[in-house]
Amino acid sequence: MKNSTAPDILITGVGVTSACGVGKDAFLAGLLAAKNSYGVMQRPGRQRGSQFLGAELAALDAQGLTCMQGIRRASFAAQVAALTLHEAWRDARLDSVDPARIGLVIGGSNLQQRDLVQAVEAHGSRPQYMRPTYALTFMDTDVCGICTQAFGIRGAASTVGGASASGHIAVVHAMQALRDGQVDFCIAVGGLMDVSYLECHAFRSIGAMGSDRYADAPALACRPFDRQRDGFIYGEACGAIVLERATSAGRDGVTPYARVSGHSVVMDGNRNPDPSYDGEVRAIRTALSQARIDAAHIEYVNPHGSGSVVGDETELRALACCGLTHAWINATKSITGHGLSAAGALEIVATVLQMRAGVLHPTRNLEEPIDPGFNWVSAQPVAVKVRRALNLSFGFGGINSAICLEGL
Amino acid sequence: MNKEQIFSLVVRCSREILPQLETYEFRPNDSLQRLGANSVDRAEILMLVLESMSLSIPRVELFGPTNIGELVELLYEKLHRA
Repeated sequence: MKNSTAPDILITGVGVTSACGVGKDAFLAGLLAAKNSYGVMQRPGRQRGSQFLGAELAALDAQGLTCMQGIRRASFAAQVAALTLHEAWRDARLDSVDPARIGLVIGGSNLQQRDLVQAVEAHGSRPQYMRPTYALTFMDTDVCGICTQAFGIRGAASTVGGASASGHIAVVHAMQALRDGQVDFCIAVGGLMDVSYLECHAFRSIGAMGSDRYADAPALACRPFDRQRDGFIYGEACGAIVLERATSAGRDGVTPYARVSGHSVVMDGNRNPDPSYDGEVRAIRTALSQARIDAAHIEYVNPHGSGSVVGDETELRALACCGLTHAWINATKSITGHGLSAAGALEIVATVLQMRAGVLHPTRNLEEPIDPGFNWVSAQPVAVKVRRALNLSFGFGGINSAICLEGL
Repeated sequence: MNKEQIFSLVVRCSREILPQLETYEFRPNDSLQRLGANSVDRAEILMLVLESMSLSIPRVELFGPTNIGELVELLYEKLHRA
């Protein structure tokens, strides 16, 4: 329930890296064009006896990585986090504030699995020659270490895990740090989960990852909420969100994107990957109640919508139960792929960028919605001024998270 | 491997870890630390050298050298005693 003394928390900066666009302008343009970024994944360590589909980033912008000078042997996940944070940092003009009052929460655990597999391949038979920096890079907190060094952050920094809801969990922890007064600015990052072929094989065999059906047509494989979906398609991504208390916001040149008016994280008491209708309903209702918003006043839902066969259906039933069939709904993952630990943050960024632009992006490959009773943004973008939005994020292990965002 | 070859190897590995030294002309009395290699960089350089030489020796036996020339001498000694 809302604590009436809790200060309002605003989003004052964003950064985003996705295969459909790097940087907020390119990202929004990629979303609105429903750009196709899918193919058979090429990054070393992603395939072994396989042809996994996914959306991989192009080469990273060297200019954006100048903040990494003097930091060597950073993992791919750390480089992408720093690049993404750089944009959010400039967006919120954090150079002008005391670095001791800035905190950082990286959402995601086991971010650097591809590095691990490559290390085993290189040194598994000669472990005595393992590169010494592996002692740093195998820990997710190396991403914190690198980002705090690159940006001079001196407040608290840590990682938090919540499977595919990690980005949301990072935002929730950042809000807590602000409300506790630990820091005045807190950056929540949904870290890039750099999966290897081992994770891909396991995701496939547990029934979560597609696509057997569209193996020969990568552009068609990622299709959340469509009748022909057969699982999620991976997408490399990272999102960074600068949060601060409304009382301290108001620096020159910084226009807040939205207020985080409600949030809820609830568990199903279930270790497994299967979704829970009850858990999702509880998360949605609690977040709406905390935000003091009637479901009828939510104009846009940015769903979890991963393309999971059972998950998508469960999510729509939960939304219908909560009285949200009227709201516009699209699926960001149809364009970005599933960023796993990054997804929650990436989709908050997608939501606030759409709110600011007054337009909602199309949903790729939504040819036959599993429930046509929703207000789908399908093949074409829709111009609409959204003031109140709901974003959902779910993770393996029974994690359900909902966040309400309100325009200012 | 003679000492010149070991020196060249140390230079090559140093440049791999510290790309800014790509055109620097290394001398035996250069200290890796003074060339900008921090303790992690030095550990990485040493590991690349040891791997290239197929030398597996306790790290404690490699303490002591204060410059590249001394490191080369020590590695040469270990290699030929191995």
